Amino acid sequence: MTTPARPTFRFNNSELWGGVLGLALGIFVIRAGLHLKLGSINDPGSGYVLFYTGILMCLFAASIIVAAVTEGGPTFASRWDGARWTKPVVIIAALMVYSVALDQLGFLVSTIPLMLLLLRAIDPVRWTLAVPLAVLAPLGVWWVLKRGLLIQLPSGMFEIG
Amino acid sequence: MDVIYNVMQGFGVALQPINILYCFIGVFIGTLVGVLPGIGPISAMSLLLPITLSGTPESGIIMMAGIYYGSMYGGSTTSILVNIPGEAASVVTCIDGHQMAKQGRAGPALGISALGSFIAGTFSLVALMLVAPKLASVAIAFGPAEYASLMVLGLVVLTFLTQGSMAKALLMACIGIVLGLIGLDGITAQPRLTFGRIELIDGIGLVPVVMGLFGLAEVLLNTEQVIKRDIINAKITQLLPNKEDWKASAGPITRGTLLGFFLGILPGGGAVVASFASYALEKRLSKTPERFGRGAIEGVAGPEAANNAAAGGAFIPLMTLGIPPNVVMALLLGAFVIHGLQPGPLLITQNPGLFWGIVASMYIGNVMLLVLNLPLIGMWVQLLKLPYNVLFPLIILFTIIGVYCSSNNVFDVYVMVGFGVIGYFMRKFGYEPAPLVLAFVLGPLLENNLRKSLILSQGDLMTFVERPISAACLALALLLLVGPLLPAFRKKRELVALDEGA
Repeated sequence: MTTPARPTFRFNNSELWGGVLGLALGIFVIRAGLHLKLGSINDPGSGYVLFYTGILMCLFAASIIVAAVTEGGPTFASRWDGARWTKPVVIIAALMVYSVALDQLGFLVSTIPLMLLLLRAIDPVRWTLAVPLAVLAPLGVWWVLKRGLLIQLPSGMFEIG
Repeated sequence: MDVIYNVMQGFGVALQPINILYCFIGVFIGTLVGVLPGIGPISAMSLLLPITLSGTPESGIIMMAGIYYGSMYGGSTTSILVNIPGEAASVVTCIDGHQMAKQGRAGPALGISALGSFIAGTFSLVALMLVAPKLASVAIAFGPAEYASLMVLGLVVLTFLTQGSMAKALLMACIGIVLGLIGLDGITAQPRLTFGRIELIDGIGLVPVVMGLFGLAEVLLNTEQVIKRDIINAKITQLLPNKEDWKASAGPITRGTLLGFFLGILPGGGAVVASFASYALEKRLSKTPERFGRGAIEGVAGPEAANNAAAGGAFIPLMTLGIPPNVVMALLLGAFVIHGLQPGPLLITQNPGLFWGIVASMYIGNVMLLVLNLPLIGMWVQLLKLPYNVLFPLIILFTIIGVYCSSNNVFDVYVMVGFGVIGYFMRKFGYEPAPLVLAFVLGPLLENNLRKSLILSQGDLMTFVERPISAACLALALLLLVGPLLPAFRKKRELVALDEGA
């Protein structure tokens, strides 16, 4: 009987780094629990559950790391094999910029460009449909919320909306 | 007689015009999100959670419940006609449902799916009416130790049933507990993990977390691939199944209903588990299992009945114990809490109008769904032709609006975007979000009950073992945790493991 070949250790093993991240989070939670005071078993403090949850996190993360080292795992690049990874990247970047702009510029001024970008970036919608949709959808939502439900969306520095 | 009186009282509430309207909106939206792949009941319910604030608790919760069971009906339409599950509980319906459609039998497949769902939905309501009050009277005797152990069991069952590595699912559950504990400590009022941000004093909101992890992350994942749809374009005729179809489906519907209902009650279980279990059961019981996967009507009837029965059964732990058995019920718990109500053993006695009103509305909702899903099937087929490149930006817009409206705070939009990105990477790396969300909701309840039981028992851990219900829950949880270490048990788990979050 032959023993199965042990997978070679690779630093770009995504499972390994997922486990390491979990371990780091677990250590952070343990420290937070200790900082908040554990109390005693008959009078548990604010950090009691956090501390023990942190320990469990470290245990589970360690088991993920061990599995990654002994059994191997997919590389980072292979997770995106055949995927159009630029699409989510564009959306994430747009949403991050939008989050910052929303309070500063207001709902209408920031949402109309976001919609136009999304309509053109995912799988380009033709301009003749994208422009009216990007303008009318936020405007319609704004109108319903403001007039119908009396909900004030951010109006920003220009006080539009 | 009490039950009949209570049901009449419930219909008195459910038949109020405003509640009929909310019920219709709920089942309509439920069918809509069930039909549309990429957006499920979780996203829709979290999107509409803030809207429940504007009406009475009855109206809001009737609508939210309608979205859940409505999505079970709608999901099968997409599975049968497009071969893409509209929501996770309809994954198995694709297998035989789409094959039937390809053979020109889309009508009977849609018909048996809707009628089986109706039968199962109605049965689960009758059972809910009979079981819930009895269980509630038993649950009054539950102490903090029982609650803590039951929540541990719920989390372990969900992690056990989650696809992929159990260690990853347990890690996600732990992270969910930690996120749930952010904010003021309920006992000592000490701020925890707030990093000096005033917005975090009240903790992180459920809506931005769920919308990010399920709504936004789902859109991000879907944009990565070109979605091809194999829509059956032939005109759908003869929706009512014939005599032979009924003969073949009667057994699967009955078994699926019973199995689904019991799996729905279990913490951590739900409609997805039920549909898979029913399919496996029918295949095993069939004299001609080779027909499965090639258009066997039993493969549609059983799972569709099971997922609807489970949707009804899932209300029992929430209504009687105050413990949500799955993420959808966690959102419904959120709707109760928004209205200052606490589901649990006392809900039925203290708010009989609310409880029986919700139950009665489900009868009405099931009839509405039958109409929406049989005579109006053509409308949903047209909807399936809506292009994704238009749909996805609109979903993102609605998630932003939904999150902002839930708190009138831009900070929640940051949280939603953050969790959307985290959710996307979690899925890419094989970490399921469902255990995180359930633990996020159960975390504060679990901590509270754990600390209370330790204070009451003066630190005696034996309190969890000496009380029979608590001991049984912990023993089962331990079995599920240790079991996967055994190769035979691990193989069984892989067979039933599901993508709950899809």
